[in-house]
Amino acid sequence: MLGFLLSLVLSGPVMAHHSFAAFDGTKRLRLTGTVKTFQFTNPHSWIQLVVTTNDGRSEQWSIELLSPNVLLRSGWHRSSVKPGDRVTVLINPMRDGSKGGNLVAVTLANGQTLLGGAT
Amino acid sequence: MRAVLFAILLLGVFSAARCAEGARSTAPLVQPVPRPAHLPDGEPNWTGFWTPIGGLLDKNFGPGATIPPVDPNAAGSQEGIPPHAALKSPYKERYERQLEAAREGKVLSDPPARCLPPGMPEMMVGVYGLEILQTAGQVTITSEWGPESRRIWTDGRKHPDPDDILPSYGGHSIGYWEGDVLIADTAYVRADVRLDESGLPHSANMRLKERFHSPKPGILVDEITIDDPMAYIAPWTITKRYRYRPELNLEEYVCEENNRNVGPNGEPVFKK
Repeated sequence: MLGFLLSLVLSGPVMAHHSFAAFDGTKRLRLTGTVKTFQFTNPHSWIQLVVTTNDGRSEQWSIELLSPNVLLRSGWHRSSVKPGDRVTVLINPMRDGSKGGNLVAVTLANGQTLLGGAT
Repeated sequence: MRAVLFAILLLGVFSAARCAEGARSTAPLVQPVPRPAHLPDGEPNWTGFWTPIGGLLDKNFGPGATIPPVDPNAAGSQEGIPPHAALKSPYKERYERQLEAAREGKVLSDPPARCLPPGMPEMMVGVYGLEILQTAGQVTITSEWGPESRRIWTDGRKHPDPDDILPSYGGHSIGYWEGDVLIADTAYVRADVRLDESGLPHSANMRLKERFHSPKPGILVDEITIDDPMAYIAPWTITKRYRYRPELNLEEYVCEENNRNVGPNGEPVFKK
């Protein structure tokens, strides 16, 4: 029985190369902005997103995705997100309230939705 | 003793098979398709790329994917309730401190975030794919994560004397074939290697007993038993299943390329 419980724990949705404890997996935040860079890199990919706040200020958000090895095998391409693209992201925000998050999904200008691996 | 005799017998079969191969100069260099279920020496043929069943590599993140519902129990990386009651003191207390910190969003230690190898058994239970290569007297398993390779020596050798080996991330693995089942025993895993992402600890005396078998073509099972009487009240087993994926390759993964998750002192961070 103990072995069974453990196999559940160890085969659970463990994510990737680092702990995701810094993100709040129970919360989701939606942001619309313009892509500054798409870093399709190891160990993780990143979207730097420029968001205009309600009072007209410009903010840059760092949004983390899974590794290209995982994404390329599941429908992503190097050109899926490009600098200048207008996109809407859904993220698990940072627990400390800083401008970052773990990508749940991104909706592209053409309406297509891709997932980033977060819960 | 039986295991040793079996290994010696296998070595003999290996040598015979290799001589026979050498004599056939017109033998095809390319592996035929479909590939044989067994290698010439009689081992089941597990050479190739495998991905964990039910993991990230079984999911679609691309066009047509649906957004998963919010998981109210997701608290960062801590999934489920690890059975730390099975741990002995002082490992239990240390592990509870780690879990408590993680619940508050702090990670006390995260070696793979610093690009250190996941080690054993985490390289076998992670989300990345595994490449298995079989050669005479050894089975080599490379995880895309790291990447990290381990060798299971099936040539009859023993574990070295503790004074003659440096403990390593992957440890020292020896094994033998029992029909179509590969039995492996791993010792000398570094004491600072965690067992999983939650940070389950182990002692320097841990032994990992593995039983690899294929219940049907294209499916591989690894039953990993953690035998560590210093840290755990009783041995316990993880069962991991993998799917053969001939359409995929092990891809490059250089952790240092763009690692925004480590601070100047090796601490876990998130670089904006």
